[in-house]
Amino acid sequence: MLSRVANSLYWLSRYLERAENLARLVEVNRYNSLDIRQGDVWRALLYTTYMENAYATSKEKDAGAFVTFSEENPDSIRQCVAQSRENARMVRDQISEEIWRELNRFHLFISSEKAEELWESQPDKLYRQIIEFCMLLSGLINATVLHDDGWHFMQIGKCLERADKTTRVLDMLAYQGEPDRAKLASALKSCSAFNAFQVEFNNGITLKNTVSFLLFSKSFPRSVRFCLQQLDQHLHSVSGTTTGSFSNEAERITGSTLAQLNFSNITNVISEGYNEYLDSLQKQFNYIGQQFFELYILLPLEIESIGYNNLYWQQQQQQQQ
Amino acid sequence: MLSNYDKGTFFDEMFCQAGGNTFAHYDLLYEKFSKYNKETLREKQILVDNSFLENGVTFTVYGDNRGTEKIFPIDLIPRIIPAGEWKKIEQGLTQRIIALNLFLNDIYNKKQIIKDGIIPECVVKSATHYRTEMQDLTISKDIYIQICGTDLIRDEKGNYIALEDNARCPSGVSYLLENREAMKRAFPLLYSQYEVRPVDNYPDLLLKTLRYLSPRQGQIPVCVLLTPGVHNSAYFEHTFLARKMGIEIVEGRDLIVVDCFVYMRTTKGLVQVDVIYRRLDDDFLDPIVFRKDSMLGVPGLMKAYLKGNVALANAVGTGVADDKVIYAYVPEMIRYYLDQDPIIQNVQTYLAWRDKDRTYILDHLEELVIKSANESGGYGMLMGPVSTKKERLKFAENIRRDPRNFIAQPVVSLSRHPTICNKLGIEGRHIDLRPFVLYGENIEIIAGGLTRVALKKGSLVVNSSQGGGSKDTWILRS
Repeated sequence: MLSRVANSLYWLSRYLERAENLARLVEVNRYNSLDIRQGDVWRALLYTTYMENAYATSKEKDAGAFVTFSEENPDSIRQCVAQSRENARMVRDQISEEIWRELNRFHLFISSEKAEELWESQPDKLYRQIIEFCMLLSGLINATVLHDDGWHFMQIGKCLERADKTTRVLDMLAYQGEPDRAKLASALKSCSAFNAFQVEFNNGITLKNTVSFLLFSKSFPRSVRFCLQQLDQHLHSVSGTTTGSFSNEAERITGSTLAQLNFSNITNVISEGYNEYLDSLQKQFNYIGQQFFELYILLPLEIESIGYNNLYWQQQQQQQQ
Repeated sequence: MLSNYDKGTFFDEMFCQAGGNTFAHYDLLYEKFSKYNKETLREKQILVDNSFLENGVTFTVYGDNRGTEKIFPIDLIPRIIPAGEWKKIEQGLTQRIIALNLFLNDIYNKKQIIKDGIIPECVVKSATHYRTEMQDLTISKDIYIQICGTDLIRDEKGNYIALEDNARCPSGVSYLLENREAMKRAFPLLYSQYEVRPVDNYPDLLLKTLRYLSPRQGQIPVCVLLTPGVHNSAYFEHTFLARKMGIEIVEGRDLIVVDCFVYMRTTKGLVQVDVIYRRLDDDFLDPIVFRKDSMLGVPGLMKAYLKGNVALANAVGTGVADDKVIYAYVPEMIRYYLDQDPIIQNVQTYLAWRDKDRTYILDHLEELVIKSANESGGYGMLMGPVSTKKERLKFAENIRRDPRNFIAQPVVSLSRHPTICNKLGIEGRHIDLRPFVLYGENIEIIAGGLTRVALKKGSLVVNSSQGGGSKDTWILRS
């Protein structure tokens, strides 16, 4: 598989995952902010998704519109979908007709005035539709292409993005000060975790339980641990190395982060410090992404003389950092 | 819908000039379309347009910084060409591509046609796309133009005439194939009643043609399609063809030249490439040899090419045959190389570099179409009869300053075809035809073509960039 194609497949699915998480985050918080002071919720959301600076300089002052539609915001839902679709366009020959068609339809929908009108009149319906599109695509990616290297690259993008986004939701919880039950429920719902949480923890929604669940759950698909397990497997499928060992730096960091999660619990988080713990996880994710990029996308000689080519490739994608 | 049709004074594809009956091969279509009402047609049109938009069958509009993609409008009334007529077109096109290839081989090697005084050397060497690098080079199988799109029009009498040869990277074949898919869905019954020859073998034929060029023997050649990238207006076509052929679509940065061999970079390391179907102009191919600022090309590619380690389709330097001054000599080439009379005629062409022709052109600007020798897409053109005095003065000045680069032709009123014009109902609109010719082990002509239609009333410009649309073209089995 062409390195550029691998890169595009990775970003195609990563942007899609980003759009879905963002839609859920906005929808949950928009609904809850009806009861509390609006500014606080939006400020927390912009802060944790690294959109604060772009928002400060933007002409768009409605935070909801900024996050959803703004073209000045490289990570708005609309832009994420456009980027995902642009990557799909570059690899149209590698994905199924069905994926392309639905992704293109998604793009046409989210960039239409109709979407903006819907946002004015029935925002919950808009966000539900966005999430549905993402789920449909995720289903098509699983059901209509060969589960070969290309598919693994898509899954790698998705797992990394998902793990990262779950830590952002936890960030947001911390940012908002002493969390009450509503805020904790909000955090769980932002990860579609509310029902699953209640199955695993029947002794109440507490901060400790919520953090435990979102970081360490062994079987919830959006917990950081679960995402890392998946990531570990996909990386090993591509390289052909057996899990439990490693043949490259991306695998090594993933494995060691996963081991650390496997053998930690909430006590470790508290003793290390909540923010510090999350920070260090996010740093690991970035490092994994970077190592993956150097391994499969760049040539060895280009990594030595990091310069033109690296910049050129990087220009292609908006890294969220 | 067709009862009030005004066929005007032009050659009409559906209705005989004398008497006004339909040509026999249009009877069935006439009967069918007469029964449709506006509503039915509009529904079918919306269905077809939406399927194009959702499938991303689009081209990018340049000069629009939002990167707007538009669909190439398709008209629902197909153009029908009977088998006998098509056979003659095939023979004419075959003759033409053979002559053009012999010509290119000749001018880059022995130059016999120049020595024999048929074409002046200065005309050849001053062609914008003449490449000195190709001098005395033996290329794979001696074929220069593997893929050719020759634009044909029909004059007042219905004769097919060649308007220009696109010998660099002719585009449009994907629209031809997608139009056919759409038409089969929209008019299944009519289509099957007509016994139309299929077109969907094009990707197979193209791949066969490309593989034939491979310099490496004894294994399945690795062919790739080289695209300028996602922002190119024909990007859809590039991915379309690559997907149908099952080959990789690569950008310049996917390729790397090591020791005069070309490789593509994959997640599993480097893989050697044998044949490049490039949809990139010569200028951009290799920044070491051609344009230094090209970000799209592959440094070292020409070196690998000149060594014969990789084949390019089309070859470098075929643009000479695109030059409109060279075009004027094609009938001479056919006589010179093949000792045959041209089956398809040229439009009468005046060459401004000849003193006598230039005087004639400058005296008759109002009657002629003036074209610059190396522009395409309907740019750099003066339509004499509808021009302003100011425009004519400007062109006259340009012609005097640079006579080599201008030609003039009488206005040919392209044939017209009934076309659906929204509120106006069905009216006649001017059309041309771009068939696609492949030259590999054999010469293959896909049984169809892109019929382009000037959707603006009275317009003779069919280019998509100038408000043109297209029609499906049905070649009949018998």
